[in-house]
Amino acid sequence: MKFYICIKQVPDINAPVQIKNGDLIRDTDRTVLNAYDASAVEEALVLTEKNEGEEDGEVEVVLVGPDNASETIRKALAMGADKATHIRTDGNTDYDSSVYAKILASFFKDKEYDVISCGKQSQDTDAGLTGSMLAEYLDLPYATNAVGLQMEGNQLIVTRQGDAGREVIALPGPCLVTCSNDMNEPRIPSLKGIMQSKRKPVETIGLETLEMEEADLQTQTTVTGYREKPEREAGQKFEGDPEELAHKVAKLLDEEANVI
Amino acid sequence: MSTLLTHIAISDGTIKRSSLEVLSYLRQQADTHGHDAEAVIIDAAASDFVEQVRQYGASKIYTVEDPVFKNHINTPLLKALALVMDKADPYLFAFASTEGTKDILGALAANQDAAVLSDVSAFELTGDGIKATRPVMAAKILSENEARGDKILISVRSGSYEANPKGADGEVVNIDFSIDENEIQATLREIIGASGDKVDLSEAETIVAAGRGTRDEEGQRLVTELASVLNASIGASRALTEAGILDPSLQIGQTGKVVSPRLYIAVGISGAIQHVAGMASSKVIVAINKDPEAPIFDIADYGIVGDLYKVLPPFIEELKNIKR
Ligand SMILES: Cc1cc2nc3c(=O)[nH]c(=O)nc-3n(C[C@H](O)[C@H](O)[C@H](O)COP(=O)(O)OP(=O)(O)OC[C@H]3O[C@@H](n4cnc5c(N)ncnc54)[C@H](O)[C@@H]3O)c2cc1C
Ligand SMILES: Nc1ncnc2c1ncn2[C@@H]1O[C@H](COP(=O)(O)O)[C@@H](O)[C@H]1O
Repeated sequence: MKFYICIKQVPDINAPVQIKNGDLIRDTDRTVLNAYDASAVEEALVLTEKNEGEEDGEVEVVLVGPDNASETIRKALAMGADKATHIRTDGNTDYDSSVYAKILASFFKDKEYDVISCGKQSQDTDAGLTGSMLAEYLDLPYATNAVGLQMEGNQLIVTRQGDAGREVIALPGPCLVTCSNDMNEPRIPSLKGIMQSKRKPVETIGLETLEMEEADLQTQTTVTGYREKPEREAGQKFEGDPEELAHKVAKLLDEEANVI
Repeated sequence: MSTLLTHIAISDGTIKRSSLEVLSYLRQQADTHGHDAEAVIIDAAASDFVEQVRQYGASKIYTVEDPVFKNHINTPLLKALALVMDKADPYLFAFASTEGTKDILGALAANQDAAVLSDVSAFELTGDGIKATRPVMAAKILSENEARGDKILISVRSGSYEANPKGADGEVVNIDFSIDENEIQATLREIIGASGDKVDLSEAETIVAAGRGTRDEEGQRLVTELASVLNASIGASRALTEAGILDPSLQIGQTGKVVSPRLYIAVGISGAIQHVAGMASSKVIVAINKDPEAPIFDIADYGIVGDLYKVLPPFIEELKNIKR
């Protein structure tokens, strides 16, 4: 059973940010492994462990990103992934989901695998596009927003959170799935895992080795600027006797806010 | 003159209001810029919804009707959408941002080589594309985006625009559709916990959201009673869906749903940034929390610092009196 997990390094959304002249200024350059991708790695680890003995389960992570993204790759290896490919981009490239999907598609063109897993979205942009784009480029059956995965022979059984309920879908392999963090609690790398990660193979390749057309690296969308969200003011806060508070706020909701 | 096309999402036999919001806005844009606002309904009973869509002023309504569309499955939907795009040749194709849309938007864009922006909260047409606003960084910040080209796909957050009817006698165009069993590689086996006739959270007018503070039986009872007095939908923080206390479809936030009700009452919710990402655009926010430092109070219009077990019973009584 061979899993490829597409992992992305994203800015930590909990770190403070400011906006100056329409640019996003991060007070720290703190970056993290996209939380949804961590869930995808976790689930692949669980599924391949279960299949141990039957055949060789393998989990390989792939990341498209700058040099410093190697830290994020280490994190996935420390969780337990077996090996990694780092597709290196130049320092400050600003690609959109479509370009990342095209890069990944060229990488996967001549690879063999049972399942490709992605996160359901990037934590910083919430775009949620790369996974299904990649499936389309590779012509793979796919499902998004998985909250549960199971292997059944060579079928992947995906439980996805849909509009009307949880849809249970059987995908023939090879296939692609995008994962929600509602699927599991990603393990925290152990000390042993961290030590071992340093000896695991990471292959670094440049974009030029993927033989892509120049046009495929042109984005069709651009971010032209950032602005603060109109700040929500903290309103009135009441402390004291619960009974009195309850009456007061109920009245205000009725008479002031007009929402009852 | 170009075509601005709206996808009409249908779930549980009703049209999602958010699709009508998108259609209403595109109709206004079409009027201003001299374009056509058209709509497409893809459903097992598509023709049943034509009259309602007509009332929102689409000048042409495409229908694709086939039993396969009874439930959401991505392969047939993508095939139908590609057919529709061939036929209607839209300059802009807009969707309501539902889970169904999220499942196919990227694939459709890749298939059609179209520029795509997901989950926008506002947009307008420019000469050679569109400009759109997207919340980013867990909705703490707004990004301004441009999409260029002659084929653009977007999905729009619910509540971004108003749905307002405007009669028109839009022509109906039925598109022939068929799909082979073996083209549908994925098989839908079952649907668990379908919401039935409950109001979709993303369209609810009033929401009572329950957090970890309400996790015992009494807490849940109080939340249910409060919701019933207010005729509200119940939502949840991740703490409660993760613990299996409330259905996962009720989760509000970055992983869960984005909501924009008139009234949002957060009960025993701390206000983590990933939760706030899904509810910060509620009109009036009320928070009940025993920790005066809880971040939810930074965005609440009315904050009650107190133990929910002591606050809710008299609060429910008072609301009952007001309703009477
Ligand atoms: C990638 C990612 C995505 C996420 N997506 C989501 C999401 O979509 N939605 C979401 O909700 N979370 C999401 N989370 C989780 C989020 O970070 C928080 O962990 C979660 O929102 C906490 O839920 P809570 O506020 O109910 O619980 P807590 O943070 O534990 O807060 C409980 C609150 O209840 C109060 N309380 C306790 N007892 C009482 C009482 N008797 N009376 C009054 N108040 C009381 C406490 O003071 C406390 O403030 C996500 C996290 C990650 C990493
Ligand atoms: N640069 C990248 N390298 C590897 N995977 C990526 C990259 N960008 C996006 N992905 C995958 O696509 C998902 C997010 O897609 P999106 O929300 O469109 O950015 C992530 O969770 C990853 O699985």
